[in-house]
Amino acid sequence: MDGYIIATVIKAVLVLSIIAALAGFGTYLERKVLAFMQRRLGPMHVGPYGLLQLAADGIKLFTKEDFIPSGANRLIFMIAPMITAATAFIALAAVPLLPEFKLFGVTVKPIISDLDIGILFVLGMMAAGLYGPLLAGMAQNNKWGLLGAARTAAVFLSYEVVTGLSILAPIMIVGSLSLIDFNNYQAGGMGEWLIWKQPLAFVLFLIAGFAETNRTPFDLIENESEIIAGYATEYSGMRWGMFFIGEYANMITIGFLASLVFLGGFNDWGFLPGGLAIILKVSFFFFFMLWVRASWPHIRPDQLMWLCWKVLMPLAVINVTITGFVMMV
Amino acid sequence: METFAFYLFSILIVGLFCVTVMSRNILYAMTSLAAGMVLISGLFFLLGADFLGVVQLIVYVGAVMALYAFGMMFFDATGTVKENNTPATTVFLLGGLSAVVLVVIFAAPAIGGNVHALYPTPEGATNPQAVGLVLFTKYLIPFEVAAVMLLVAMIAGIILAGKKMDKSLSRMKDESAVSEKDVK
Amino acid sequence: MSLEQFKNRNVGTQNYTMLDLGERPKTGWDRFKQVARRSVKLELFTGLKVTFREMIKALFMGEMHTIKYPFEKLPISPRYRAIHEMKRLLESGHYRCIGCGLCEKICIADCIRMDTRYDENQRKEVSEYTINFGRCIFCGYCAEVCPELAIVHGGRYENASEQRASFALFEDMLTPLDQLNQQQEFPGFGAVSPDADKKIKKTPLAY
Repeated sequence: MDGYIIATVIKAVLVLSIIAALAGFGTYLERKVLAFMQRRLGPMHVGPYGLLQLAADGIKLFTKEDFIPSGANRLIFMIAPMITAATAFIALAAVPLLPEFKLFGVTVKPIISDLDIGILFVLGMMAAGLYGPLLAGMAQNNKWGLLGAARTAAVFLSYEVVTGLSILAPIMIVGSLSLIDFNNYQAGGMGEWLIWKQPLAFVLFLIAGFAETNRTPFDLIENESEIIAGYATEYSGMRWGMFFIGEYANMITIGFLASLVFLGGFNDWGFLPGGLAIILKVSFFFFFMLWVRASWPHIRPDQLMWLCWKVLMPLAVINVTITGFVMMV
Repeated sequence: METFAFYLFSILIVGLFCVTVMSRNILYAMTSLAAGMVLISGLFFLLGADFLGVVQLIVYVGAVMALYAFGMMFFDATGTVKENNTPATTVFLLGGLSAVVLVVIFAAPAIGGNVHALYPTPEGATNPQAVGLVLFTKYLIPFEVAAVMLLVAMIAGIILAGKKMDKSLSRMKDESAVSEKDVK
Repeated sequence: MSLEQFKNRNVGTQNYTMLDLGERPKTGWDRFKQVARRSVKLELFTGLKVTFREMIKALFMGEMHTIKYPFEKLPISPRYRAIHEMKRLLESGHYRCIGCGLCEKICIADCIRMDTRYDENQRKEVSEYTINFGRCIFCGYCAEVCPELAIVHGGRYENASEQRASFALFEDMLTPLDQLNQQQEFPGFGAVSPDADKKIKKTPLAY
């Protein structure tokens, strides 16, 4: 029992530090990829190829004045960014990050808590993550913040429906809510991947994932051209940084979910070992999010709601129904 | 370990809900209510009911509380609310009495040692499977009736909200806008 | 786009190509058909393709647009009017300025100050020549008026300085003697244009 607790704590600390570092590195990658797609160089001067830009940004965020507006609700204002960051990392607790491996003769499972209902837990935690932007927007006594909070509530509530319904069809096929079962179901190579059985669900999940992680075609929560920075308008320094760490951690989580549920997870892929395969898949999803940001404009809020309730949700329901019929027959 | 976690969660939940009741600030009340809901799902996890815990998380924290928050946005969330002060003794007496009655109702069978599961979990079933088995055998009709009720509520909500849905305010011409004003 | 096209300001007379956007959908069914058609044709992916192509071009085909400015500079037009240069005679290496004072006279910002004296050969010699670049508006009149092509505008445009006004002395602007062989005859503003002979007209003598 004690060993279990110690192992869990070590795993949690490792995941926290690695994913937080990766989230920071994600900002560097984002700037580089966006720059390349616009035929620019991106950050170049801090360190070799601008790699130390990350450290420079960190120093800047830490030393910036931590500003709390006078009319704001201080306590809520202070805890809101922590909610975003915390829920993003807690969601990762139920995600198997790598295949099992042996270290010093001990089999290590790179999952913090192997729940029966892993996928629901991740979705639930991401649903709880909506409180970060929501409370931040309501506590800061700022019109833009309030508008951002309202949009947060609308977008998250609507797109959770699509996420849940789209992932329901794969759950029905696999017959389990555990992400490890999903992985094992697709163990038979590329032909067994669920994306071939559920292409529509994959597309819907990805679209909803973009909305839930607040990425570009749907980044209306902090759309600078309309509502300044939305819920983050009054934030500065490390509190603002925490929102961003949370957002990038969420992007990584969505990448892991998509690759575990639809793209074969951490099974060996041809000659690639499983660990490398899933890292490649998650990197692809991360790159895809940046790619989309470089390519597509964002849409209006009413179009966002239209897309959710009149297109994606009916499609998801039809998909679930058809899957059910096919499975019964 | 589990006892410790249980007491920690319980104290936190009671404390947070006390804040919900006592606080005059809407934002504090809402936040503590949401946090209390999260901690209740923690109690479910402690009992090994993972599925119910996550459902609590998704439904109450993710959806219901967010809808409350949506409603709160129409008020000034940072100010304090002036409460209508009824005689404090009456409120205290009635509230305390009902609380005691509730505690007695729920605690009596536990003290008497009469608690046993009506539908024990089948061997080897995972948590969602156990919930599903009970839900779709013994409680199928209440489940379906609840679903129909939700459907009715949804349709009613759409009808109430959607009276003028086909009219777009931004595309309205000036004349109709004027007439709207006149009507008001 | 060629330079001539670029300079054509007669908006409206150019040959615009109108995009054929087709009919706008009117009924709900039309709109639905449009959405379905666009989804099936995967029009969104064209955008992705374009950005990816640009990235490949930038990374592997050397078409990066960025100029790392303080280290690299774009070439500027020879007729750009930046900090002045004083030219030398190519044969003797002596400076061209004859001390006529026209530039001082014509300078509308009043920023040129020169002093002359006769040297031992009874030739005019420039004893002092400064330009106050805090006042200079780079109009180019001095270079235009100079009869000897002695003062021209060069290409050095980085004139941020710690002082509010920075003066330049004659020696600073003068072509260094060791770089005399690199001195170009028509590099800068104020020089005779290449087709000056064609443009010149005889002054009518009869009245």
